[in-house]
Amino acid sequence: MTHNGHAPFPWPLLRFWTRQIFPMWFGMALVIFLFQIAVCAIVHDNDKVKVFLQFLDMLPAFIKSMLGGKSLQAGNVAGLIAIGYNHPLVMILYMLYAVGVPTNLLAGEVQRGTMELILSRQTTKTQVYACTGLITVMGMFAMVLAMFLGTVAGTTLYTFTQDVPLTDFFKIAVNAGLMASAVGAIALLAAACFRRPVAVGLTVSYLVVMYFTSFVSEWWPRMAFLSPTTLFHYINGFDIFVKHVWPVRDMTVLVAVMVAATILGSLIWQRRDLSA
Amino acid sequence: MKAIEVQSLTKQYGSARGIDGLTFDVEAGEIFGYLGPNGSGKTTTIRCLMGLLRPTFGLCKVLGDPVLPGRATGHDRMGYLPGDFKIWEQHTGRRALCVLGSLGHGNAFLKRQAQLAERLDLNLDRRVRTLSKGNRQKIGLVYAFQHQPDLLILDEPTSGLDPLMRQVVLDLIREAAEAGTTVLLSSHDLSEVAAVCHQAAILRKGKLIELAPISDIVQQGQRRLKVWFAQGTPIPDMPKELPDARIIQKETSCLEIAHQGSADRVLKWLAQYPVERITTPDTSLEDAFIQYYQKENRHDS
Repeated sequence: MTHNGHAPFPWPLLRFWTRQIFPMWFGMALVIFLFQIAVCAIVHDNDKVKVFLQFLDMLPAFIKSMLGGKSLQAGNVAGLIAIGYNHPLVMILYMLYAVGVPTNLLAGEVQRGTMELILSRQTTKTQVYACTGLITVMGMFAMVLAMFLGTVAGTTLYTFTQDVPLTDFFKIAVNAGLMASAVGAIALLAAACFRRPVAVGLTVSYLVVMYFTSFVSEWWPRMAFLSPTTLFHYINGFDIFVKHVWPVRDMTVLVAVMVAATILGSLIWQRRDLSA
Repeated sequence: MKAIEVQSLTKQYGSARGIDGLTFDVEAGEIFGYLGPNGSGKTTTIRCLMGLLRPTFGLCKVLGDPVLPGRATGHDRMGYLPGDFKIWEQHTGRRALCVLGSLGHGNAFLKRQAQLAERLDLNLDRRVRTLSKGNRQKIGLVYAFQHQPDLLILDEPTSGLDPLMRQVVLDLIREAAEAGTTVLLSSHDLSEVAAVCHQAAILRKGKLIELAPISDIVQQGQRRLKVWFAQGTPIPDMPKELPDARIIQKETSCLEIAHQGSADRVLKWLAQYPVERITTPDTSLEDAFIQYYQKENRHDS
């Protein structure tokens, strides 16, 4: 096949795709970073927090539930800073990256006709798939790191009356990174199976259904049994902020989903013909 | 040594036909023409050879190795030009070619890339989206030739090029073959196949209907005679006793006749008239090609 019997890893492709993705990634990471500083700027001042909570109380209960529910109390600094982690804006940015990158790289190159050229060089389908997966997961964790660094910067810039448990924020950031990577793996699976518009449509539909299932199961006790069926269930703020431990069980579930989706996608991608 | 071996290669798309039981070999150093109209299965065969499609049945080998789909079999020694060449439009030709070129071992292609661009009169520093169809095709040609491969697979290489540039491309193909490269040239432009190929295969509805040297394929077409009669001779009609001959063109003193098989009976019929001159115009490959299809259509009906 090659000089030494195997195709060398396509680092130039990895670099090329990383450069293509970087401006979008940088914009998203910057917004998330600044958002964490803004949250710290608001919640470090108890008077502002009270006004903010009064404002939230005027809105329908589900909005408060979406932003953190019972943990949103004056004096609960960790719960208030965590708004920056589960705010819909941040979630949407993560999901945009998780869905957009694998579908744009894998299914997008097929749609553009350039995958045929990539695969006509010394590059195997497995290597192309691995490049897509690497960029998705590494980009996701780099974004999570930006989020955590935003919290570090915010808590350094503003004075808090209580200690801010930064270690716990690091744990929740890793937990969130795994959740977003699991979504990325599901998008990768969709990109390996379908054309780009179908892959994007299916993954976004899955996310919307999952988000509303999560919300309904939290808001309506009779539907609580549905909660474990969504990936959002496996971000465990309680274990992290109350027990101060790593949510190992939840992280294991997320890793299992990620690995299963990635392997299944790889098998399908191997078998799939490039459309003529 | 055989550069390409195809045995019973079959590809079906669901219930639709792709290719059906193709078997042929291409010897190393040969320029092999792969002919057929649109939808006859040329591109499907090529995609199977490149490992982009998984055959339903059969086997193909390139440069001695069995092709494993998606495993880049032999790609370090192959150059490929797809029939519908598309490349990243937001980049310059040079950037796109370098990204693709560097997928593999080394970057020894840069010098050759510059030579090819100069020869094809191509500016590699313009963004692909600003280039005409012909110039994009030239990028594809540089891509295929830049690694100086042992096996070149070219699907419609002159598509979108002007006649002068077509000649340059045919020269490049000839030079590559002289240097020992095997070329599989897929085309429905029959004149270019006739100009460079040693042997050709003709495909129809996914099946191989002919595999022979180009000269034999041309010979199998209808042959022509152009006959000039003496001044004042009435131009005769074709007698019913010569069913394999027909008049193509009739002028005041000249008759052009197409006939199948031996010219003996036609010449004996002409001998009864005062003939001044007879010429035999070259049979074009297009004629031969059309003949093949008419013959196959008759078989079908």
